[in-house]
Amino acid sequence: MRVQRVASISGGVVIASRIGAVIAALLVGGAIFALAGYDVPMLADNVVEGSLTEFGIEDLGLLVSPLILTGLAVAIMLRIGLWNIGADGQFYAGAVAATVTGLAFPGGNDAVMLVVLALAGFAGGALWILLPALARAYLAVDEIITTLLLNFVALLFVNYLCTGPMRDPGQAITSASARVTTEIPPLMGDLHWGLVAAIVLALILALVFAYTPWGYEVRVAGANRFAAHYAGIPVRKRLMQVMLLSGGIAGLGGMAEVAGTVHRLQGGISNNFGYLGVMVAVLAGGLPIAVLPAALLMAVILNAGIVLQSYGVTTYEVLALTGLVLLFIAISEQLAYYRLLRRV
Amino acid sequence: MTQADARPAVELTGITKRFPGLIANDAIDLDLRRGEIHALLGENGAGKSTLMNILTGIYQPDAGQIRIDGVPVQFASPVQAIAAGIGMVHQHFKLIKAFTVAENIHMGWSETPRRVSAAVLERRTAELAAKFGLAVRPDARVEDLSAGEQQRVEILRVLARGARVLILDEPTAVLTPGEAAALAHAMRGFIATGYAIIFISHKLDEVLEVADRITVLRAGRKIATLPAQDCTQSQLATLMVGREIVAPQRGNAAHDRAIGQIVLQLAGVSAVNDRGLPALVDVDLALHAGEIVGIAGVAGNGQRELSEVLTGIRAVTEGQVRIGGTIMPNAEPAAFLARGIGHIPEDRLRSGLAPSMAVADNAVLREYNRPPVARGLFFAVRAAAALARRIVADASVLVPNMRMPVRNLSGGNQQRLVGRREMRVAHQALVAAYPTRGLDVGAIEQMLRYLIEMRDRGVGVLVISEELEEVLGIADRVAVLFQGRVMGIFPAAEADAERIGLLMGGRAEMAA
Repeated sequence: MRVQRVASISGGVVIASRIGAVIAALLVGGAIFALAGYDVPMLADNVVEGSLTEFGIEDLGLLVSPLILTGLAVAIMLRIGLWNIGADGQFYAGAVAATVTGLAFPGGNDAVMLVVLALAGFAGGALWILLPALARAYLAVDEIITTLLLNFVALLFVNYLCTGPMRDPGQAITSASARVTTEIPPLMGDLHWGLVAAIVLALILALVFAYTPWGYEVRVAGANRFAAHYAGIPVRKRLMQVMLLSGGIAGLGGMAEVAGTVHRLQGGISNNFGYLGVMVAVLAGGLPIAVLPAALLMAVILNAGIVLQSYGVTTYEVLALTGLVLLFIAISEQLAYYRLLRRV
Repeated sequence: MTQADARPAVELTGITKRFPGLIANDAIDLDLRRGEIHALLGENGAGKSTLMNILTGIYQPDAGQIRIDGVPVQFASPVQAIAAGIGMVHQHFKLIKAFTVAENIHMGWSETPRRVSAAVLERRTAELAAKFGLAVRPDARVEDLSAGEQQRVEILRVLARGARVLILDEPTAVLTPGEAAALAHAMRGFIATGYAIIFISHKLDEVLEVADRITVLRAGRKIATLPAQDCTQSQLATLMVGREIVAPQRGNAAHDRAIGQIVLQLAGVSAVNDRGLPALVDVDLALHAGEIVGIAGVAGNGQRELSEVLTGIRAVTEGQVRIGGTIMPNAEPAAFLARGIGHIPEDRLRSGLAPSMAVADNAVLREYNRPPVARGLFFAVRAAAALARRIVADASVLVPNMRMPVRNLSGGNQQRLVGRREMRVAHQALVAAYPTRGLDVGAIEQMLRYLIEMRDRGVGVLVISEELEEVLGIADRVAVLFQGRVMGIFPAAEADAERIGLLMGGRAEMAA
């Protein structure tokens, strides 16, 4: 037998290699858990059971929607060859903007208010990435650093708001704002229509990138900036547009979390969704449509983590399992280009 | 050679190296004596780099032998060549910019002490600099140094590792005249102490000034080795570009055809390169409808910048670019495309293609925003695929799968694809930089025929090439570019190798 590298592979091979990677990671993780003395079949049983109850599915859905949005935010910037590590900060900014708007106009719980809140959330997220976008487009400042650092600014800003000016005095919990009365209507139990909106957004973005000249321009600019300039594509403009759109989508995630799930602004509201969005986007290979299954996988892992923790598995072990999945997918990405040939 | 110690420091015999479809070195003999500066002269693609890559162990020859001080050797890797005392200073420095001079000198060197402190490294560097007479500042960061200083660091690094044979690849290309003079002085000092130097250059005057002997390569073969004092510039130029230049023959009788109006024009244009240095200086150039203008010159004399200002990619710092009399906005490629200017760029993978994207996506790069590919708000994927298939077929490229990344095509096929794509949009003018680069003989003929067809359809064609024969073969007029200036522009029928060779080497046009 010998190994041969092939130049290009089909979509089917890509999907198969990802599924194989997840299975391999679970097997290796399971083996390690077994060595650590856990009853692996019992844990697996409980994870599956816990995820498939009505309650489990609701929990899964509540995790999936923000992961889709932050995943999309990171993925579309990957399309133009840039990393948005700041989806967490933009998520916070969107949550703040939506909360402030919601508290300022407490009257209605109608469709108009939801649209206004969504716009506010989008604007908040876009505003949060404005500086990194300008620095990237005009001064070639590395967006990885600028977007990442603004996360901490956003986190501290939200903590300040929740413990200071926006703190709800009637609340026993110290760090949360007053309740935002505008709510995204429920879909099923605690699950709200934000999930559907996120899925629709992913579909729309997938279509935009594949079937519009704008999407084509962004893809070319991401693949080779020099060639894009040569072809007459306004690279700087596209870069700004994509970065603002990315920040806005992450901001929408923050808005949906406030208006759909938490109903208040509070300290840990981002739940690391922004950072997890980076993983989702990498798993999805930067393709908006692939963000959907990737976000689902991530949600299943997070959900499983919650179940596992209730059986005494530590957070570190759960994180290690997440890391294994990512590691194996990264390996499979390369291995997919090799095939075994029987020596003749 | 009668004395034993006068054996050549390096003796190459019958060195042959073949690449697919190309003989880069064809039975080349070369001897390098201790205490001489031996110039290696030749056009781009003459085989100089291949020969030096063989001597430094980067390539292994298909045939032939290398002797160092009379002893046959085989270098399986550059490390072995360095151990045998062969050191090369590349045209593009291989220094780490964020490190100090002392750190760069000691990096990856077996004699670097195990416990290193900045003070120790700097003291050792200062000692080495004194020993070899190369003034460097050990504690300076490389990024703060001038090109000349960086070059001294490179040379010191090579000498410190025990090199007795020094290969300098176009060392003066990045230097100011003052720095070049200092380098020549340093080189004289080395050979006086028994070193041998191979000096690669295109510049005739410099070669005559510095070298003891000169070897001329052309098309992979050694043409001659001559003592420098017996040579003249015009003699070397003729040897370098070839005695017989194919006479204009492809229906080149410009007076038989109607040359049209000026389609693309540069008026007093100056521009800077990516490093901000002057690359074009006060260039006036007019391209008429239905003519082919050839740009001759040694690579790196402003060709890239010329093609880029003509197609709107690069901003001009002075002067105007006009299309059919209209002054064009600065650096707006889309405006040039809309006016019907096509461009086969110098470096297709860097600026003409998106390597990771599909062949289909790359084929429609210039027509994606006009019908049939653009339909209202939409990018019509099927129409794009159909157009791409047509372009690919016209370019005679065989593609198993249009969704395959374009980087998986061979260089020649990429070039054909770009060529065909650009011809479709070049209604007014086509700027073709090295259009035949990477093509085999048959494809070269085809490409040149296409250019002539475009000319006959009334398109102005500007061809930049290192292949002088090729330029003279199809061009109506030839301009020579040297250090960003147009040294002369004349009808191709009046061009001869000697005259162009002199101009390419920087000799100003004499009364002619």
